[in-house]
Amino acid sequence: MKIFYLEILVLALAFLIFVVDLVFKKQRANLIPWVVSVGLFFILGLSFIYKPQGSFFSGAAVSDSLALFFKKLFLMAGFISSLGVFSFAPERFSKRQMEYFFLLLVSLSGMMLVSGAKELIFLFVSFEIMSFPLYVLAGFLKKEAFSVEAALKFFLLGTVSSALILYGFSFVYGMTGSTYLDKINTAAGNLSGLFYLGISLILAGFCFKIAAVPFHMWVPDTYQGAPTPFVAFLSVAPKAAGFVVLLRLFWEGFLPAQNFWRPQMILLSALSMIVGNLLALPQKNIKRLLAYSGIAHIGYALLGLLVVTHYGISMLLFYLAIYLFANMGAFLIVELVYRTQKSDELEAYAGLAQRSPLVALCLLLFLLSLGGIPFLAGFWAKLYIFLAAAQQKLWGLVFLGAVLSVVALFYYLKIARVMYIQAPLTAERLVNNKAILISIILTVIPLLIFGLYPKPLVELVNQIARQFLP
Amino acid sequence: MNSNSILVFLVLLAPFWSTLVLTVVYPLRRSGKPAGIFSILCILGSLVFSLILLFSKNFDFSFNFSWLPSLSGPMAQVGFWYDKISGMMIIVVSLVALMVQIYSLGYLSSETKPSLGRYFLYQSLFAFSMLGLVLANNFLELFIFWELVGLCSYLLIGFWYHKPEAAKAAVKAFWVTRFGDIGLIIAIILLWNKTGTFDYQTIFSLVESGALEQSFLILISILIFLGAMGKSAQFPLHIWLPDAMEGPTPVSALIHAATMVAAGVYLVIRLFPFFQASPFTLNLIAYIGSFTALLGAVLASKQDDIKRVLAYSTVSQLGFMMAALGVGAWVASYFHLFTHAYFKALLFLAAGSVIHAVGSNSLSAMGKLAQKMKWTSMGFLFGALALSGVWPFSGFFSKDEILLGVITSGKIIPSIFLLLTTFLSGFYIFRVIFLAFFSTAKSQIHPHESPKVMLFPILILAALALSSGLIQQNFLNFLEETPTWHSFSALKVIVPAISLGLGILGIFLAWLFFQKQKKVPQVLALSLRPISKAIDNKFYLDNFYEFMYAQGMLLLSFLIGWIDRYLVDGMVNLAAWSTGRLGVLLRVFQTGKAQDYLIGIGLGVLILIIWIL
Repeated sequence: MKIFYLEILVLALAFLIFVVDLVFKKQRANLIPWVVSVGLFFILGLSFIYKPQGSFFSGAAVSDSLALFFKKLFLMAGFISSLGVFSFAPERFSKRQMEYFFLLLVSLSGMMLVSGAKELIFLFVSFEIMSFPLYVLAGFLKKEAFSVEAALKFFLLGTVSSALILYGFSFVYGMTGSTYLDKINTAAGNLSGLFYLGISLILAGFCFKIAAVPFHMWVPDTYQGAPTPFVAFLSVAPKAAGFVVLLRLFWEGFLPAQNFWRPQMILLSALSMIVGNLLALPQKNIKRLLAYSGIAHIGYALLGLLVVTHYGISMLLFYLAIYLFANMGAFLIVELVYRTQKSDELEAYAGLAQRSPLVALCLLLFLLSLGGIPFLAGFWAKLYIFLAAAQQKLWGLVFLGAVLSVVALFYYLKIARVMYIQAPLTAERLVNNKAILISIILTVIPLLIFGLYPKPLVELVNQIARQFLP
Repeated sequence: MNSNSILVFLVLLAPFWSTLVLTVVYPLRRSGKPAGIFSILCILGSLVFSLILLFSKNFDFSFNFSWLPSLSGPMAQVGFWYDKISGMMIIVVSLVALMVQIYSLGYLSSETKPSLGRYFLYQSLFAFSMLGLVLANNFLELFIFWELVGLCSYLLIGFWYHKPEAAKAAVKAFWVTRFGDIGLIIAIILLWNKTGTFDYQTIFSLVESGALEQSFLILISILIFLGAMGKSAQFPLHIWLPDAMEGPTPVSALIHAATMVAAGVYLVIRLFPFFQASPFTLNLIAYIGSFTALLGAVLASKQDDIKRVLAYSTVSQLGFMMAALGVGAWVASYFHLFTHAYFKALLFLAAGSVIHAVGSNSLSAMGKLAQKMKWTSMGFLFGALALSGVWPFSGFFSKDEILLGVITSGKIIPSIFLLLTTFLSGFYIFRVIFLAFFSTAKSQIHPHESPKVMLFPILILAALALSSGLIQQNFLNFLEETPTWHSFSALKVIVPAISLGLGILGIFLAWLFFQKQKKVPQVLALSLRPISKAIDNKFYLDNFYEFMYAQGMLLLSFLIGWIDRYLVDGMVNLAAWSTGRLGVLLRVFQTGKAQDYLIGIGLGVLILIIWIL
């Protein structure tokens, strides 16, 4: 059981706030975010100290360095987004804070479980433990029509994709006679037909979860309707979970069939880059813009997945880690601006540099990192993933990605222009929310440090990749 | 990593820490004086660490950290090379920076608190970048720090950015030095392209083994020297330095006299094994250096602005150092760099003290200051004696080393230029002394001695100007280099005697003309008039550049502008417009209806499944 100690602690925290909510009726609005943040911080700290290795359920779940890496990412995302909920507008939120955090923590535990899953049923169950709370959380602002609509779309399409996945699993099981990835791997070499159908369905299902084109359409609507601190979480953590599942399935299970699924992924990657970047261009709402830019980033990350080398994996991990910080940071600032101006439209950012120079600078850094400007961490993420692809002679994709990076800069810098050049509509300063500011600073620092000196993180992910595929 | 490498780190870290804190902790920066004290303590730390390093007598070690990892090993490294050359230089830099920063507390006391804090932020950044430049062990790192000191120079020249002349001078300095930097970066790229490394020592060993052909070496060394010319204000790129005097005087003392402008000389010294391999370039350096020395001295003789006299004098002295490098006498050049840093900083600080008291840069507004400002006058006098090479002041020793080196090399024209410069140095600096400190007093000014915080650095530097030459033998022994010219024993006596004589002749003439106010004979005055007029116009160089810039560059930029506006922009706009249209078209699919999204998923699945068939 000890390999699950992190998940158990997260669940224990979920039940703890249950109790806190019942006992401290008066102070609960202030207390619960504190308990969750401190608790997650503590668990995150533990994950760096105690790293049990091993397997459980006769190999259905493992705890290897890859799983631990993703668990740390999820905990960081959870911690940062819980800071973003502090003193959330009471009329929208405060009485049901316990529900919010409970769901968030359960989802978190599901993600952490899935990062070690090596058996189809265990994998599916933990993935659904992660997904269900997300559907509820997307519609958390239940009095706002937009939010309900967003949640409903997310839920409907999500269940369809889950059905696709299960359907695919059933074919794979039928053809190989096992639900364990290792055994699937040994049997996969001389299969075709229905096995490939199964793989295709699974790929389609998980591409919905990571929001690759053409399975991306829920993303902008859901992001726009859901509470922003939650979107900060939704836009990175479940995506990372989707990638760890894809890594496990396609690298540990279906690797012998790589000549089949690689072209599929190339197509999905190219489509995601093209559609994400192009559709981000005309957006006026910053949440939708970031949603489309996120889709484009998924395309870049898929590049790392489909390059069947160590470098591909390690650069994918690097990319996901950097993307997590930059994207969460950007959404947290969106939240901060929303609290002041009750708007997510681009005009709300006019003259932000004059009103709150520090926040504007941070947002600029996030955008530049997402756009891949040196010397911010996002630059290395993009460069490394292109290098990994170039090594495999995927020149077309590299060229496409590079050209579209320029397009991406256009819309990122559009926001920067609004912030720095346009005159402010109001002279009002942003709400001074210390918790959000701290979480913003926490996300900026890694971007700057790894931007100047990416070596430690690169070495870490290289090591993980080597252990993952000896 | 041993304890010495950690010390090297600490030398750099102290001013970096100060920069970081002053940037981030803005209440401290905006508090003015405390920010200054913080910055001073940090640079004091650098000085202490560099002294400990020197006395621990562990020289010549280098260490690297890989930076910018790529798929096949690191693309570049960050590293430091501590040896006797960089070890001496970091002491000079941190010592002068410390003195200047202390002095600035007094000199800039009338600034507002935020702008004083900003000043010390720039000072810290400069100290960090300059120390980094000195300690760098590869070309890429060198270039980064090289540009950083350029940036600091720009920021500090334009410190009073509300003054149009200061803003203009800052841009000019940036522009001219950048011109040289283009050469440097091209050289670095070519070298990397050829050798695949940025590392100094690897490149030195390649040069030594003869792996690089002569023509390539000549090309690269000339390009590198171009960078050094820009930074060290060598003819014809010297025009920015006099204008840079628009910055606060302590800045001129630190950046435009003692350290940054010496970076070009230091670069050539640092890369001397490289330059040695191409005699052609060395020859070029000798001629450019000696000509610059003479040019600077001539121009210095007729300036009215006390800081401009010193600026041209700096140009001239840097030319001196370059000339020495050109004949291979790098130890002599380095020694002169070492002594010049002290006495020129001293001259600037004393001049600053005078300006602080008089409220004007103009020599015609000064007079008889020696009575009112004893300590300042003494400091300036010490600096002037060192500059004109009077025994036992430091300039005497270092200048003679250079003259010996150049004369024994047998290059006649540089020797003559440098001897003339020696004569003129005594003349122009004592012209300042007599006009400002001794001749008739001007009634409208009421000078007063400067506060202690300004006098203290002046006195320390005065002591150094007096004593730093006396360690000549130790300095040469320390660098383990017995110059070849030391074997000519006869010259060893004659050359110092001649140079001392020339220096004293210059002083005497200055005394005659400016103290006794003797008129120049009519005939001589008439024949000198064209030269005098040319000097007033800085030999028309600025006009020439302005013409080139105004006519040539503007025409070129008009052409390029046209191409850019109509051809390039047209294509870019077309691409942007069509991309934008594509985005709008794609939006049609985003209907907002869940049913349509489901159709999307279905299509996606179909596409993936079609693969099987």
